[in-house]
Amino acid sequence: MADSAQELAKKRISRRRFMIVGINAVGAGTALLIAAPIVGSVLSPLFAKRKTPWVLVADISQVPVGVPTAYVVNLPIDEGWTVPPVPRTVYVVKLNLNGSVEMLTLSNVCTHMQCDVHWDINLKQFLCPCHGGLYSITGVNIGGPPPWPLFRYEHKLVGRTLYIRNVLTGA
Amino acid sequence: MSSPSQPPRSALVAKLTRPVARPLAATYRWVDERMGISDLTHQLLYEAVPRRGAWSYSLGSATLIIIVLQIVTGMFLLWTYVPSTTEAWESLNFIEHHDEFAAIVRGMHLWGAYVLLFVIGLHMIRTFVSGSYKKPRELNWIVGVILFLLVLGLGITGAMLPWDQAAYWTATVVTHVVDYIPFFGNWTQEILRGGPQMGPETLTRFFAIHIWLLPALLVPLIGLHLILLRRHGEHGSWVNYEGVESETEGERATRMAEAEYPYPAVPSDPGYAVPMDLDDFFPSQVFKDATVSFVLVLIIFVMAVVVGAPLERAANPAALNYVPTPEWFFLPLDQLLVQFPQAWMIPVGVFVLPGIGTTLLMLVPFLDRSPEREPWRRPEVMVPALFAILFLIFEALLAVNRLFNL
Repeated sequence: MADSAQELAKKRISRRRFMIVGINAVGAGTALLIAAPIVGSVLSPLFAKRKTPWVLVADISQVPVGVPTAYVVNLPIDEGWTVPPVPRTVYVVKLNLNGSVEMLTLSNVCTHMQCDVHWDINLKQFLCPCHGGLYSITGVNIGGPPPWPLFRYEHKLVGRTLYIRNVLTGA
Repeated sequence: MSSPSQPPRSALVAKLTRPVARPLAATYRWVDERMGISDLTHQLLYEAVPRRGAWSYSLGSATLIIIVLQIVTGMFLLWTYVPSTTEAWESLNFIEHHDEFAAIVRGMHLWGAYVLLFVIGLHMIRTFVSGSYKKPRELNWIVGVILFLLVLGLGITGAMLPWDQAAYWTATVVTHVVDYIPFFGNWTQEILRGGPQMGPETLTRFFAIHIWLLPALLVPLIGLHLILLRRHGEHGSWVNYEGVESETEGERATRMAEAEYPYPAVPSDPGYAVPMDLDDFFPSQVFKDATVSFVLVLIIFVMAVVVGAPLERAANPAALNYVPTPEWFFLPLDQLLVQFPQAWMIPVGVFVLPGIGTTLLMLVPFLDRSPEREPWRRPEVMVPALFAILFLIFEALLAVNRLFNL
């Protein structure tokens, strides 16, 4: 009889254990059901497919040689529920290298902290006012904290018309 | 509850107020019987606190009052503000030009944030100098550091919401900082921005973080901060423990035995469980707390009316020459961005140094474990702390010099 009482106590404890484990399991399941879609929605930008259409910049015959020229281009930023045309500045650099003309389409976003750089006529360099970054005419980082050269927009020429799209490449 | 010390009311006043006072008192008794308001109030107000240096202990309650002010003003900013890249600036511009009262509310929210960070700084310095983080209050120090970091997060996310030039470029720089996290940087930036570049979801995400995520963490942690404070009793500053070392064992035993609620603090170093001289939280400390809070809220109000909150031109992502000036409490970090150039050094300035600083701040109670409270007998922590503060001020001054002499 003493045995069965012990048995009973053991059983009671195991029933208690069962419920405690059950509470934890059911609780974890509930939390998972709530958390999974939330985490998914927070991470959703990582899985988004984005359209990057070509946008007209300029007639390249108008671009002076050897002087970076700023053009404001309304780039469609495909994000969330909307594709707003966001004004962005692209520096078109036309270089004459031993007779052959090279076109660069530099983003004016500093590679350090993404402030806005501008071509300084006196320095003959791109200057970032935030933390003093400097870039050469081809966008190579030559001073201050920037870790990389200015990024370049993907561009194409149709006849003499220059197009870019919102795809950035390293130099 | 009536006590024998209550002053006698004039018979005339009693007679005149009776028709209102009696039903009110009856209603109160009815509710109190069911809810125990008197017991709760009694429990909240009647505790012992250290007597000496009490004005400096009002910084914590001032912090609490200003956080409440931030929550309330924030609630009412939502009556007009629209968290959308196309309308955020427009809605605030409307407030600034057509709704004077809302402009004051906005001004109080901004100046409230400034005063809050300043007062939290003083509160931390006060706690540090008094050695109040020592046994058994280590965890409350850590909770306080987390609260400080959350308030910094609220400050920086709030600065992004107006979507004017300052907000846009602040958000750009802040969300780009995380890009330098090894391996996961790009993903983190994209998650925060809601895309690879700044866009509509950047604003909605930071709006949600500012008004819900961070406050939802902040409020319960404030509760924990207060529960722990009450559990240990206020430590006060070292002046409340003068003569602890020369006490006889009998004197100490008597002091411990006669300690009023919530003392003695356990586990505590011998002699430091009860301040030498106690006062009542209500009304002595509450009076000081209320006065300090009033003065601070008055400063916030006056600054909101006189200076208000600035609103620059609407965000222009194509800007050519805009210099974002960080909020003053982020100037030292901004200066580190200049001092650590090039790809491999940037993470040092952005993560490693601030990370070491924050970790050291959290670990203060475990680095300074002696029972000694007097600041000048703890040079091994006071001197490094002084240098740390001077370093932050020095960095901020360098940043100011750089940004305003362009």
